[in-house]
Amino acid sequence: MKLAFSTEDEVFLEELLSFLEQHCPPEARATRDMIGSDDVDAQGIMIIPAWAKQWQATLFDHGWMIPSYPGELGGRDATPTQTLLYLEALAQRGICRSLHFGGYAIVAPSLLEFGNTQQKALAPAAIRGDTVWCIGMSEPGAGSDLAALSTRAEDRGDHFVVDGQKVWTSYAMVASKCFCYVRTDRDAPKHRGISLLIIDMNSPGLVVRPLRHITGQAEFAEVFFDQVKVPRENLVGEMNEGWRITMGSLAHERGGLWVEGVAGCLRAVDDIIVMVKRMGLQRDVGITTRVARLYSQARSLRAMGWKGFASFAQGSSAPEHSYMKVAMSELQQTLYELGMDLQGCGLAITDPTVAQEEGRWQKAFFNSLAATIGGGTSEIQRNVIAQQVLGLPKG
Amino acid sequence: MDFSLTDEQRIIQQTARALFSSECPLALVRAAWENPEVARPLWDDYLVDWLELSVQPLADISLFMEEYGRALAPGVYFASLLAAYAAGSVGEQASGPATVAVAAGNGYWIPNEEPTKHFVPCAAQVQQVVVVSGSQEAPRISIISTEQLGIHEVDQMDRLRPQYRVKVKGIDRGTEISAQAWQQVVHRALVTASAELVGVGRYLLDSAVAYAKERQQFGRPIGSFQGLQWKLVDAALELERAAASVAYAAMCVDDNVVEVAHAVHSAKLEAGSAARRCARTSLQVHGGIGYTWEHGLHYWLRRAYAGDAFMGPSEYHARCLADVLFAAWRAQ
Repeated sequence: MKLAFSTEDEVFLEELLSFLEQHCPPEARATRDMIGSDDVDAQGIMIIPAWAKQWQATLFDHGWMIPSYPGELGGRDATPTQTLLYLEALAQRGICRSLHFGGYAIVAPSLLEFGNTQQKALAPAAIRGDTVWCIGMSEPGAGSDLAALSTRAEDRGDHFVVDGQKVWTSYAMVASKCFCYVRTDRDAPKHRGISLLIIDMNSPGLVVRPLRHITGQAEFAEVFFDQVKVPRENLVGEMNEGWRITMGSLAHERGGLWVEGVAGCLRAVDDIIVMVKRMGLQRDVGITTRVARLYSQARSLRAMGWKGFASFAQGSSAPEHSYMKVAMSELQQTLYELGMDLQGCGLAITDPTVAQEEGRWQKAFFNSLAATIGGGTSEIQRNVIAQQVLGLPKG
Repeated sequence: MDFSLTDEQRIIQQTARALFSSECPLALVRAAWENPEVARPLWDDYLVDWLELSVQPLADISLFMEEYGRALAPGVYFASLLAAYAAGSVGEQASGPATVAVAAGNGYWIPNEEPTKHFVPCAAQVQQVVVVSGSQEAPRISIISTEQLGIHEVDQMDRLRPQYRVKVKGIDRGTEISAQAWQQVVHRALVTASAELVGVGRYLLDSAVAYAKERQQFGRPIGSFQGLQWKLVDAALELERAAASVAYAAMCVDDNVVEVAHAVHSAKLEAGSAARRCARTSLQVHGGIGYTWEHGLHYWLRRAYAGDAFMGPSEYHARCLADVLFAAWRAQ
């Protein structure tokens, strides 16, 4: 056990910081974790602005998009420790790589693992952001119980015909392709009848309806499929083997998320400390002790993430990482709620000209409410930890 | 930041686990409650040699102490380890089992001139006491034979590590050390106590999980009920967080980083809260059987609470951490 990083890792970090210094646009630095995507049109519907496209491409071209990948996939063959340093450096500065994580974080790794040669060739554009992807997972009847999905694809030999509906589909309004989980065998047990298709978002019969969040903005959507024709070559992996890919997709999604989440918590604590001082509350022991406990939680979650990473890198299982999502998302909510509480009656006011820090705490709080729902609810996470980490029997 | 264990650290962990599982069964813990002397062979045959750890990195000590806490090993080792840190600050070694006497009535390890020191662990079972007097700015260390001191016991929660009041009036004033040197002793002691608490929590949680898998009600194991599962998950989460926080603090002390005080207070508060949480959860999961004296769960529950209180409960360390975080501003 040691705190210091190796010389190679320090050099890696210096290179990264000087790259950011030179290339990172101001828009990508706007403490985005607190505010979420503000890149919306007049109706509040998500768009991808030019700077974001440019920034993601620049990261890719310089080997800084996914450092662990080889150069042709937007990386530089970085070690796992370096990847963690990279994620932490970005997160500490509030820098986002891309406004749509589905393509580089879920689609590309899944295609590289399960796709055929032609499908693997789609990965670079997904990582560079040239192709925007959405992920068709949840449905009205399949949320936490994802395997219950019922959007069906009928096998017609050289093509499939897809009917059904997806919901909470992030980025559907800006995506050109959908990584879509469909039921191909209705008679098999629910986990065994699922396949994965690549569906062109311009296909006839496919309709996208943006869904407004409780924040007022629309980043996700409903997607309706009515007799949508999908060529057979768009099947990823084997027929009815889709569930295995789903499990991989969810793992890819969660892999580095803890780093961002923890950095967000640490920044929120720092900002709360500043706010306490600005409001002259630094002698209120009740408040400062509450802040200290949250600081301690955030710092120990960071240590827990790195500790889990060490067991993982040494080939053992890392129970620590199973705890990260539930711990971080709940801590985020507590922190933003405290940020609002400090404002007293002003808690209810979001007018940027009146509220503390232009209403960012209220905004961040509303955003954080999604964190305990999306990507597996806290309740499902607890069930999974109980059964898979503690080994308790299934209920 | 690298939490991976070296081969030597792995050996410490495995040797300790093997030692306690063979030499410190529940029967010994039970017997030590009635008569502390039964723990003497464990000290004489094994633990006295493990005192050499006192000059090793805290990262190593923490691994050992976690196993020590898990086994709830009775006897004078914990007190002697703390005494070794304190005696080491003046380049001395205690001979034989020893303890440290610092606190005034509030129990915090702040050097003071009070004639009676409180919360002195195992004072009646050891031969020497490292007495700390003076002030926060100018602490003084003297090593005194217990025969020269008045030792008083009070009734208390955790009789496996009894704490005593020790009259130190009129003793030799000893050697002055720097405030920094004393800080180092306190930090080492706090992380050591925290690591032990993580081990205590592990025993409590592991035994609750095992019991939940085995105990049947309504025709199925009680561990299959979601209400129980979530309770256990929340305790496990708090414990893992504490374990990481203690390992991190150990590295911070070993490297003497700038924010070492942040890390140490955080470790003690996380470890104390986690051990207490695991104790309550474990008792609740065990139900009536855990509430019996005979079952023995209560020994760990007692240590969780008394261990949290030792050198200041988590509430106190949260205030200390707040002081560190807001210090510069309070002064303004």
